[in-house]
Amino acid sequence: MTRRDFYRYGSIVLGSLIKLVIAVPAVAFLASPLRKRGQDAGEVAFAALTSLNQLKVGVPRSFAIIQDQTDAWIKYPSEPVGSVWLIRQPAGTKPEVIAFTVECPHLGCAINLTADGKSFLCPCHASAFDFDGKPQNQVPPRPMDRLDVELTAEPDPQVRVKFQRFRTLAQERIPLA
Amino acid sequence: MLDQLAEWLDDRTGYRTLIRTFSEEQIQGGARWRYVFGSTLASVFLIQAVTGVLMMTAYSPSSASAWGSVYYINNIMWMGWFIRGLHHFGASTVMVLLVFHLLQVVLTGAYRKPREVNWWFGLALLVLTVSFGHTGYQLPWDQKGYWATKVMTNILGGAPLFGPYLKTIVVGGTEYGNQTITRLYGLHVAILPILMILCLWAHVMLARRHGLTPPARPERWAAETYWPAQTFRNVAFLSIVVGIMVSLDLIKGGAPLDAPADPSSSDYPARPEWFFLCLFQMLRHFPGRLEWVGSIVIPSTILLVLFLVPLLDRILPSRFLHFLACAGVFGLLGGAGYLTVEALKADAADPQFQEARRKADAAHERALFLAASPQAGIPPEGAGFLLRHDPLTHGHAALEKKCLGCHFLGGQGTGEQTAADLKGFGSRTWVRGLLENPAATAYFGKVPSLGGMREWKKRSKLNGKQLDDVADFVASFARIPDDLTAEEWLISPGVAEHPGNQPFQKECGQCHIIEGFTEGGTRDAPGLFAWGSTRWLSRMIRKPGAPDLYGFFEDKAQMPPFGPDQLRGNDLEMIIRFLHNDYPLMPGTELKGTVAGVTVKMNDQVADQKY
Repeated sequence: MTRRDFYRYGSIVLGSLIKLVIAVPAVAFLASPLRKRGQDAGEVAFAALTSLNQLKVGVPRSFAIIQDQTDAWIKYPSEPVGSVWLIRQPAGTKPEVIAFTVECPHLGCAINLTADGKSFLCPCHASAFDFDGKPQNQVPPRPMDRLDVELTAEPDPQVRVKFQRFRTLAQERIPLA
Repeated sequence: MLDQLAEWLDDRTGYRTLIRTFSEEQIQGGARWRYVFGSTLASVFLIQAVTGVLMMTAYSPSSASAWGSVYYINNIMWMGWFIRGLHHFGASTVMVLLVFHLLQVVLTGAYRKPREVNWWFGLALLVLTVSFGHTGYQLPWDQKGYWATKVMTNILGGAPLFGPYLKTIVVGGTEYGNQTITRLYGLHVAILPILMILCLWAHVMLARRHGLTPPARPERWAAETYWPAQTFRNVAFLSIVVGIMVSLDLIKGGAPLDAPADPSSSDYPARPEWFFLCLFQMLRHFPGRLEWVGSIVIPSTILLVLFLVPLLDRILPSRFLHFLACAGVFGLLGGAGYLTVEALKADAADPQFQEARRKADAAHERALFLAASPQAGIPPEGAGFLLRHDPLTHGHAALEKKCLGCHFLGGQGTGEQTAADLKGFGSRTWVRGLLENPAATAYFGKVPSLGGMREWKKRSKLNGKQLDDVADFVASFARIPDDLTAEEWLISPGVAEHPGNQPFQKECGQCHIIEGFTEGGTRDAPGLFAWGSTRWLSRMIRKPGAPDLYGFFEDKAQMPPFGPDQLRGNDLEMIIRFLHNDYPLMPGTELKGTVAGVTVKMNDQVADQKY
């Protein structure tokens, strides 16, 4: 190896090494949001929204989900983080209450009632659903996302809902963690 | 394929020719180690740009969010501490390299014709670099950054004529806050970088126009092309420099972050980054009205003289001037080194500084702990409220300021004790101790007007077991919920059947009234319903002279009331939560000293009373 070759290879090797020392941490830094997964997964808990008697059979009502929220470095105590539709089912059917997240499975807009109050309609791209959450047109990729519901044992039970978000556009219901 | 693509690109852009003009530049007298500084500086600047832009994707410039976002970078994001640390130590590295670069240029006389203009660009870059260094460490808006901003802008404000106006413009008003940070941020990430790129570009172009300054009689050595002989030296030296930066980063675990800015702190020992220590120390030699000589006149004069050096070369004999320039630069470095050492020595020998620094470190540790704690976290109002909403920090400080002139805390106070010791007030330990010996100094020994308990003790027939039960019973009062009336409390489970209920009603109830429960009347005494709870304590602090408390006292024996004007709501809440030990404590650590200054061992109280 000539002296010139030594300089040449030496420059390339050392130069690449320095670039790696910067580039690898840089990529990790930019990819940091991927890290949050593990921390947030455990935080999903049931939250009481209303009592059963407050709900009329077959009439959807929306409720805000109030949770402690961590927005990067700030902790917001008891902030609204999303909403759900609760529909009480006729007596004797199981489950007694169905909960849908208002987030549209299409692109995440908030699903509203139609003007006549007979079905659900998303104001963004006109995804339509019936009160069972079944799609009524070709826009949404899947039915509205059901959330787990729990009723407490009291005479007038509390309706408790486990609020989750799901991946949009997917055919299946995939929770975001 | 790749060759063809390169060919096509070269044909359209001529990039190969451009690279060739760099790589095939002839170096008279061959490649040299002393040429490495300029290129290494440029490379470290590039590292600063990359790490800086990375942090821009995470940093948030406002007085409420700056500290939190830096905390997030440092402690939560992947490699955030490493990137920020590299940027931090990169800044120091640039300062060191600048000195070597300047020395190299002066020693070889490279300021002479025809390189005068480039010498001036170099000086401009020096000023820009120093500005970068200063604006950079202000941005986290921690104590260090906050006080540095204050000092720097006040120096600016002290300049003659336009000083005060300049200061207001830089600060963005008269108060330090959001506008200050956005302005500093704009300077640091946009204005300074643009000026830097322009000056650096001109500097490099001129350096290439004149070529590297060769040694005398360069024909003694064979000429070499820049690539690879000089490139190798540059890269090899850069590797060492980056190696040192990375090592420092790893050893120190990144860059420091002090407690969030607190404009009310009275004893924060503000010190600048080490590369400004010499200027800091120089100010001490120009006290009072001469301050601006040290802060403005001397640094500007040094810059002006450096600026004139290439012009003086035309007037003075060249060799003589070269001697003067070398001597001057070494003199400057020696002086700066001397001042730096003097500053460090003065701090090392100053116990007051050491104590203030210890407190600042405790605050810093506490802040980082709270930011990460699930029971605390950075509140929406911003990081400045992290410690203001911490009972251990703020509650203790407020207690010390407002209460410890008469009360003691764990046997210590700031004045002569004329009231009870508040350590563990409301807890079982406190009550039991009082029942055992009301005349102890920790209780009413220093409060002659509170003779009732002592009289009771003389005639009390309760045995140790019964006193234990009464203590349990009374300590449970502090946990009575705020929305419970005495009536509701009496019928709530666990009250009537409490073993301490009977002896309490029989003996304590003779003086202390609880409506619907005890009669009182034998002697004046404060009501004990919900004693030690938040509502009882707030009432006691706000209106100690109320009829249900110590209204029976003469005015001069009375504890002074602390209305909302004397004690703000937050202070009151923090004091009470401090007394209740209602705050997260670092696991397994006994607090060495608290932020407020009085050393208190907290652990025995925590075990005693848990909320």
